Amino acid sequence: MLDSSVPLILDEKFVNARNVVAAREAWVETLDTNTSDVGMITLHPDVFSVCPRMDIIHENVVWQRKYKMVSKAHTKTKPEVRGGGRKPWPQKGTGRARHSSIRSPLWVGGGVTHGPRAFTTQFYMLPLVTRIHGLTSTLSAKFAQDDLKIVESLQMASDEPGYIEKLCENREWGPSVLFVDDTDLMPRNITIATDTIQHMNLMPVYGLNVYSMLKHSTLVLTVGAVRRLEERILYHLNRPDLTKANATPFKKQN
Amino acid sequence: MTTIAGSLMRSLGAVAQSMVQATPMALRGVSQGLAARAMPSSATWTPQVTSVRHRYHADKLKRGPLMKNYGYEDKLHTKGLMPHMVHGKRLPIPIYRPKNSWSEKRALFGQNDYIDILGDGSLKPTDVAYSVPYWLRGFKGNEYQMLLRKRKFFHNKMGQYQPTKLTELNKRIHKLYVHLNQKTKDYYWHKA
Repeated sequence: MLDSSVPLILDEKFVNARNVVAAREAWVETLDTNTSDVGMITLHPDVFSVCPRMDIIHENVVWQRKYKMVSKAHTKTKPEVRGGGRKPWPQKGTGRARHSSIRSPLWVGGGVTHGPRAFTTQFYMLPLVTRIHGLTSTLSAKFAQDDLKIVESLQMASDEPGYIEKLCENREWGPSVLFVDDTDLMPRNITIATDTIQHMNLMPVYGLNVYSMLKHSTLVLTVGAVRRLEERILYHLNRPDLTKANATPFKKQN
Repeated sequence: MTTIAGSLMRSLGAVAQSMVQATPMALRGVSQGLAARAMPSSATWTPQVTSVRHRYHADKLKRGPLMKNYGYEDKLHTKGLMPHMVHGKRLPIPIYRPKNSWSEKRALFGQNDYIDILGDGSLKPTDVAYSVPYWLRGFKGNEYQMLLRKRKFFHNKMGQYQPTKLTELNKRIHKLYVHLNQKTKDYYWHKA
């Protein structure tokens, strides 16, 4: 915990920022009910003040839902249905319609001709640039709507679930909160406190995604998480082989 | 005869007289004129009259409505929106159980989908898609392609432990090969 008498100003002069769009500023808070704001942080405009593209956000959400989907719906075809080897009645003479098997698709209980078959996957990969823009659009939208809170660290005074519930209620942090930290080993107290609360979740930076950001009302990032996010997104946006990486088709496994 | 009859009449008359004298009002329904006429000729017999009051309407109501058309089911609704009534009971519907939107699976859905961007780049989303069977990760294809992939992955194990299933798989693959290559056309706008 830093000395509270000196204000914490994390003002970074971004080298790779265009001067056209001004850098955004946000308050830095703590997970401590006694202190309100500890300092201020500047956020990179190319990550947090992008004009949100709703169609790209939608594309990302649809992709996240679909690409891991496996449909196990399965129907049996005519040869697979049990029975139906014998001709039910002679071809001619009975006056009835001619049939060769009781499991033809014309019959009730017969096979399905063009029905769903076993494991159907909807796998596809969005282009790299679309996914990056999905992330930046969502982060910008969250920041613009005051649903993005920046916290110095996830250190908490108490490990009671009631403590963090009351804290979120006092600060009007939406019903569902997503805490994002730089590492995947979170501090002890917050882990125990949010363990039983289903709508307050912890996530490392590499696990962040558009769907989770939209599902949770409030997104709480630590300073380390913010800097890591910026570094990663800006690396991909400014890498020299971005067009090549974007155009290369995703290699299937094996 | 006359003496007996006379004595009888006399006794009757005496009885009538005594009755009239004893309870002049007890003879209900008998008019005064009749009673007066009875007194002088005490030999005649006046019957005991009791009046009965019939409560026809009250008894009818007590019996209840008259049962007509016994065993006939009156189907009142014959058109329009019909209620689902089987033996007078509503059809059973399952109890509504809302799904828990914040179960662990649903709360953390989509985690690690951007791990190739936000991680160090060594892992891809298909490497961490643990909910998908490993032989289907990063795969999309029609039934024929899927069965070929399944055979490639599992023919050893299936040959050992599920030989019938492997035979059926091979049969299905052969059938689909014939169908796709000899019976149907490949149009540029529609892949099998």
